[in-house]
Amino acid sequence: MANRAQIPTKSSALIAMIADEDTVVGFLLAGVGNVDIRRKTNYLIVDSKTTVKQIEDAFKEFTTREDIAIVLISQYVANMIRFLVDSYNKPVPAILEIPSKDHPYDPAHDSVLSRVKYLFSTESVASGRR
Amino acid sequence: MEERHLIPESGVAADQEPSQEAVEVVNRREVRLRPGAEEKLVLQFMDSLNSYLSFSHSLSSTLGQAWMELASARHSMGTARLNTSLLDLKFHPASTTLKIAECDDDSVDAKARFVLRKWISSEEVGEDEDSNSTKSPEPADDDDEVCYSQVRRERAKSLSVFGILIPPKLRAAQQSFERALETLVEMANMQSSFLYSFHQLHQEVEDTKE
Repeated sequence: MANRAQIPTKSSALIAMIADEDTVVGFLLAGVGNVDIRRKTNYLIVDSKTTVKQIEDAFKEFTTREDIAIVLISQYVANMIRFLVDSYNKPVPAILEIPSKDHPYDPAHDSVLSRVKYLFSTESVASGRR
Repeated sequence: MEERHLIPESGVAADQEPSQEAVEVVNRREVRLRPGAEEKLVLQFMDSLNSYLSFSHSLSSTLGQAWMELASARHSMGTARLNTSLLDLKFHPASTTLKIAECDDDSVDAKARFVLRKWISSEEVGEDEDSNSTKSPEPADDDDEVCYSQVRRERAKSLSVFGILIPPKLRAAQQSFERALETLVEMANMQSSFLYSFHQLHQEVEDTKE
């Protein structure tokens, strides 16, 4: 028996970003950038020098912060930490994989879509409907 | 029939009241097996998944345009004037935030609903957090003018990070990224909706297997 999923309601939550420079700059222009008193930001700019560990740490931090509602992550960056993104299953913050300039969005690699593909697999349909 | 199987067999007589847990399980099964409920969930799942994919195509197109405008602005301003090294780490709250509400459709699970709040001034952010603050009502016309000037002010503040003379392409890029944000929030809502339907249907499939 599943417990009721808790959705934390909030009137002012942030959008976090893990993406390349142009994407982050663009969304900062749109006003989503936040720097708190401890000088912590709600974004990580990924370039050639960014390590996988840094990306993992940023993902874990953004998905556990209570003031973040959506995490935007470029799909090519999500592919670097695919195991971590696949294992995430909370409703909030929502994880959205977005395209980047050099890497178009591929629905086949999207973690959330891959999870629901199961509903259309022959195994689930055949075994449940006999 | 379903109700009798769910009442535990371990010594509970027919005339005794079933445990609270068994009653809750019975009620839940009644919600799932309501005529048309499963079809409604499947339709909701398909609709929200279709909308999610449509929004993702739209997002790719909007972002493509936004990157083009940003590249054009960088070409006219110079690379040194439009990069992330200009971003400082001074305290500043986000002007564009989200409101999270919970949608409860008479089921045991709930789904999140995201609402975009664009260009909220820093004073207003402080008022939101202060639940004891009161604000006197203003006439509707003044509200529109105040909102418009506030939006313009917040937009200008956001652009001012990259200098005083802002080319039109950078303003256009800002608006494109704002449109992309609106699409992303809709995608988040659709994702929340189809994940909710998916979990309900998945539960149904698992229960049928049992």
